[in-house]
Amino acid sequence: MFVKTKFIIVIIIFLFCVLTSSAFAKSEYVLPYPSTMPGSIFYKVSLVKEKVMQYWYFGSFGQFFYNLKQSDKYLVEAKTLFEYNQYLLGFQALQKSNQYFLKTKPYLIKAQSEGKDISENSNILSNAALKHAEVLTDLEGRLPKSFIWTPEKDKPTNLNLKNMIEESIDIREKYL
Amino acid sequence: MKKILILGYFVHLLLFSIFSYFFIDPNLIYLRNIYTGFTFDYRGITTFIYLLFILSFFVFYFLFLKLAGKKLLNQKDLIILVAITIISLFFSYPALVSYDIFNYIATAKVSFYYLENPYLIMPIQFVNDPLLLFMQAANKTALYGPFWILLTSFPFMLGLGQFLITLFNFKLFVAIFYLLTLYLMYKFSKNTQDLILFALNPLVVFESLVGGHNDIVMMFFAIASLYLFKNKKMLLGLVFLLLSIFIKFASIFLIPVFIYLLIQKINKKEISWDKVFFIASISMFTIFLLSSFREEIYPWYGIWFLTFIPFIKNSLLRGFYLSLSFGLLVRYIPYMYLGTYFGPTPILKIILMVTPVFLFLTYKAIKIGINSRLVKKS
Repeated sequence: MFVKTKFIIVIIIFLFCVLTSSAFAKSEYVLPYPSTMPGSIFYKVSLVKEKVMQYWYFGSFGQFFYNLKQSDKYLVEAKTLFEYNQYLLGFQALQKSNQYFLKTKPYLIKAQSEGKDISENSNILSNAALKHAEVLTDLEGRLPKSFIWTPEKDKPTNLNLKNMIEESIDIREKYL
Repeated sequence: MKKILILGYFVHLLLFSIFSYFFIDPNLIYLRNIYTGFTFDYRGITTFIYLLFILSFFVFYFLFLKLAGKKLLNQKDLIILVAITIISLFFSYPALVSYDIFNYIATAKVSFYYLENPYLIMPIQFVNDPLLLFMQAANKTALYGPFWILLTSFPFMLGLGQFLITLFNFKLFVAIFYLLTLYLMYKFSKNTQDLILFALNPLVVFESLVGGHNDIVMMFFAIASLYLFKNKKMLLGLVFLLLSIFIKFASIFLIPVFIYLLIQKINKKEISWDKVFFIASISMFTIFLLSSFREEIYPWYGIWFLTFIPFIKNSLLRGFYLSLSFGLLVRYIPYMYLGTYFGPTPILKIILMVTPVFLFLTYKAIKIGINSRLVKKS
C-alpha cells in the first residue's frame, strides 16, 4: 500500500515537471511594429530622425521615453532580423536595444531627484522589461548558441548569440 | 444720459465679476474659502442670471453703438469704456464656462517648471501636481502652437510659483493683447463706432477678459501682420503672420489673403483694404465652421472673424456676425442648466447658437421684401 502511494506521488511529480515549463508572467506592454530595416534606403533616414528626436525629447521624462522607445524599436528590429537569419544585423540591433534600455532608469532617477513622481513611469519600465524578457526568452529557444558570420572579402565574426540573449535578459530582469 | 449709461455699464460689469465667483470649481483648493457651490446646486437660477447678464451685455453694447452712431460717444468715452471693462473684468473668475486658462498654466508648468516637452509629456504624468485636481485636459499634450507656449513663459514666471498670481497674470497678459489689438484697429479705421463693434462686443469681452482665451493674442499678430503689410513692411508682416499661426494654427487661413496682397503688390495694383478685410473675415469664418469637424465650435472661436468686423461695410454680414456672437454666448446655457455634455446638450447648443442668426436673417429677408414691394408700388 505504502509503495503504491509512493509510486503515485513520483508519477505526479514527474508529470508536473514534464508538462509544465517555466514562463514569465505575461506583460500587457505593447511593442511597436517593425520599422524600416537595414538595407532599406529609408533606414538611413530613420537613423537621422533618431538623432534629431533625441533633442525633441528633452527633459528627464522625455529622455526616459526616448530611450525606452528606441530600445523597443531595436528589440523588434533584432527579432525580425533574427527570424530572417540576419544574425550579424540582429546582433547589432540587440546591442543597440540594450544600450538604450540601460539609459532609461538613470533618467527616472534624475526625474525623482527633480521632485517628479516616477511611480507611473517606473511601472511602465517594469512592464516593458517584462515584455522584452518574454521576447528574448522566446528568441533564445529558437536561435543557435553561436554563429560564425562570414561576410564577403572580410574576416569571419563569431557571434555568441546565447551569451548576448542571456546578457540582454539580465539587463531587463534588473528592472522587473 | 451718457454718464448714467457708462456708470450703469460699470456696475453691471462689477456684478458680473461677482457672479463669476459662483462658478468656482469645488476642487480649486486656492479659492476654497469662497466656494459656494451655488452654480451646482441652483442650476436653473444660475442659468437665468447668466442669460440676464448676456442680454444686458448686448443691450449696453447696442446703446453704445447707437450713441457712437449719433456722434455722442467720442474717443475719450471709448477709452473710459475700455478701461472700465478691462479693470472690472480683470478681477472676474476666469473658468466660468471653460477651463482653458488652467490648461495654459499647466502647459507652461510642464515647459518651464518641469522642463519637459509639452508636446510629448501630459500634465497627468506629474501625479502629485495640485493642478490635476481641477484642470480638465490633464490627459492631453499641448494643444497650442510653440510661440504661444513661449509667450506664456512671461505670465508663468512672473507668477513666482503662486497659483493665484499666475492665474491673474495670464488674465492680465491676455488683456494687454486685447488692448494692443484695439490700438491697431484704431490705427486702421480711425473710427470710434467701428472700434466699439469689436471692443465692446460681449463675446469678445467675455472670452478675452473673463475667460482669458488666447484667440485675441493670435488675432493681434494677424492684424499686426496686415498693418505691417499696409505700411510696406512686407517681410515683417509675414513674420507676424507666422507668429500668429504658431499661436493657434487657425490663422493659417489668412494665407490666401496674403497671397492676394502679394499678387496685387507684384502687379503694382492698388490694394482695396475693404476687400482684404472682407476676404480675411470670410476665411476666418470658414475655419470657424470647419472646427466643428475637429471637435466642436467653441464660442471663443468667434473672435477669429469678429476681429474684422470694424472694417466690414456690408451691414448684412455685420448683422450676421453680431447675431452669431449672441448665439455663441447662449451656447453655454444647455450645459449650465443640465450639467452634462451628453443627452440633449449637444443638439440644444446648436439650436441656441443658430436661432439668433436665423431670426436675424428672417428679419432681413422680410425687410428686403417690404422694401422691394415699396419700390415696385412707387
